[in-house]
Amino acid sequence: MSAWQMTAVREMRKTRRIPPGLIWVAPALLVLATLSIYPLLYLIKVSLTDIHGFTIAHYARLFHDRSFGVAVGQTLLYASVALTLEFLLGLALALLVDSLARGRALIRVGILAPMLLPPVVAAVIWRLIYNPEFGVLNGMLRQLGFNTANLTWTSGRLTAMLSVILVDVWEWTPFFFLLLGAGLQAIPAEPIEAARVDGAGYWRTLMDVIMPLLKPTILLALLLRSMDLLRIFDQIFILTQGGPGSATETISLYIYRTAFRFSNFGYAAAMSFIALMITMLAARGLMRVMKLR
Amino acid sequence: MAGRRPAPLLLSILLLAGCSRDAADKSLTIAVNAGVEGSTLKAAAHEWGELRSTRVDVVELPYANLFEKESLDLQSRTGAYDVIMLDDPWFPKLVAEGGLTQLPREPDGDFLASCLAVCRHPFGSKTFYALPYVGNSQLFFYRKDLFEKYKLGAPDRWENVLRAARTIGEREKIYGYVMRAAPGNPAVADFMPLLWAFGGDIFDARGQPNVASTEAIEALRFMIELGKSAPPGYAGFNADEVSAHLLQGTAAMSINWPAWIAAMDDPSKSKVPDKIEFAPMPSARAPGVAELGAWLLAVPVASSHRDAAFDFIYWATDARQMMQAAERGNPPTRRSVFQSPDLVKKFRAFPAQLAALEAARPRPRTPQWNEIENAFGVSLSQANSGAISPEVAMQQANREIADILDRNK
Repeated sequence: MSAWQMTAVREMRKTRRIPPGLIWVAPALLVLATLSIYPLLYLIKVSLTDIHGFTIAHYARLFHDRSFGVAVGQTLLYASVALTLEFLLGLALALLVDSLARGRALIRVGILAPMLLPPVVAAVIWRLIYNPEFGVLNGMLRQLGFNTANLTWTSGRLTAMLSVILVDVWEWTPFFFLLLGAGLQAIPAEPIEAARVDGAGYWRTLMDVIMPLLKPTILLALLLRSMDLLRIFDQIFILTQGGPGSATETISLYIYRTAFRFSNFGYAAAMSFIALMITMLAARGLMRVMKLR
Repeated sequence: MAGRRPAPLLLSILLLAGCSRDAADKSLTIAVNAGVEGSTLKAAAHEWGELRSTRVDVVELPYANLFEKESLDLQSRTGAYDVIMLDDPWFPKLVAEGGLTQLPREPDGDFLASCLAVCRHPFGSKTFYALPYVGNSQLFFYRKDLFEKYKLGAPDRWENVLRAARTIGEREKIYGYVMRAAPGNPAVADFMPLLWAFGGDIFDARGQPNVASTEAIEALRFMIELGKSAPPGYAGFNADEVSAHLLQGTAAMSINWPAWIAAMDDPSKSKVPDKIEFAPMPSARAPGVAELGAWLLAVPVASSHRDAAFDFIYWATDARQMMQAAERGNPPTRRSVFQSPDLVKKFRAFPAQLAALEAARPRPRTPQWNEIENAFGVSLSQANSGAISPEVAMQQANREIADILDRNK
């Protein structure tokens, strides 16, 4: 074999050893490893450690920690109710605005406004609105002749969860409106026109033509939002601090307290890992349901 | 051109001299609470910096974040702060973890004993790890004009308070009483004076949880009874809501903290200026006792400017500086400042504040207090919102406090 042939073979081997695509994705992999994989492995390590060394005590405690069970139940309730309401309202608004002939841009800006506020600011505004004595909401209801004496919103045992969900719906329905609106605009006009020519009414066209074509956008919106809802912290922290009692306590709030108020990082890490598993399972379940339909 | 070179050269040398190690070392970083207490310390810190030609960086953090930042800094020994301002219930945890430096010399005898007590570690020993800067203890706020109008006895006993709350509520169509019962610190802070006055306590003499005692359950029943004269939804109230009701004139009485005194007398903030009187805690079976909430100054072990840090905390807490801090609105921790005729003339609540502070009790000195307070506060809040009965609430709290102690043995 001549020298140049040997060089060519060596070059080919080198190229075979390092796939060319790897070089291009290496920076992204490095960022992922540094910012996601290493922290996750570190979290697992902390969750399996206490001052004496390796332990599974933190995970064992999860099984008989009533407060954690309550927080998980309430987080799931919060996420499922808020997600359903936000999706239905967002879809209805997107369909309505999409059907308008004029003024779409102006209405879109108006509807998107709540989403542009930082969640903390939105929560502070709603805390003032919900104030039973001095708040706008009860003030308006009183003007309309309602008796608001016992309508305490965020402080009421039965109304606290509803109040925090409503704030989320107010702030994040525009997210569904934005994504589903964009999805509706991307649907080609031909299938809809064909359905109408075939005699399908609005409802039939919506269910059999528009919705199947909108499914990928719906799945994306539901996935992104459900992951956000399962991590809810800021609004509840400002509005109720998890109260009254533990009526609005969520997983993130409980993890925050355990880590930063009680300095129990091992147990907080174990809860965080379980919360991550719950989020992944919920996302997987959602994808499966959407694929089946 | 050559003749103009020495000027930039000289400037560079001067700049380098300015950035020398010696000058860089003359700095102090102080973590303070973002509020009236913190802004007073901030002003003092800048004054001290000018006097000692030292650069002072003040990091202001909201109450909820201050503890976590300080705790993380002390645990990881980063030395980010040279001086920390801390609420006294945090002290047992921070000092037990070995994060604070022992004071080089004992504080003088002018400090109030109740304020000095929370700076010792172990509690009751002669070793000090902090100096008391703000003499906070609860006071009883009440509408003196309405008490006089209906010829109600002084609110020196809790049964008088309940009677007055009902009378004022019925006749004035305002809330007779207002309190904080949001879970965690708010509910516990407003319950402790009742618990102590009814003869109960968080722990018994053997250090075991004791909140399921008859006295404690009776105190909670009384709190719920008082709650019937309070605005609906008080189970979610914090200091803001309580003070808003007093300032708007929609409630007649509450337990509150000295930081709100100035607002009560300020016509731009209050609809009832000069009508609110301040008194020590009412009694019941036992004498009335307020909860102490002093702000302390301490030096973290990891500080690289310890000498300057100690110099600052002794300077900031000496009588002259504390006079200035009092003028700026901070309740002092020194008897001589409380008794200064000029200040008494200016701050009418000073005698009541001194009496309350002298009798005030600290929260239990355990490193697990944050966790205990949270569990206890959730039960109190649940009982006040009507979710569970006082008996169930106290048994639940007792169990949870026992679990916390067991876990941390």
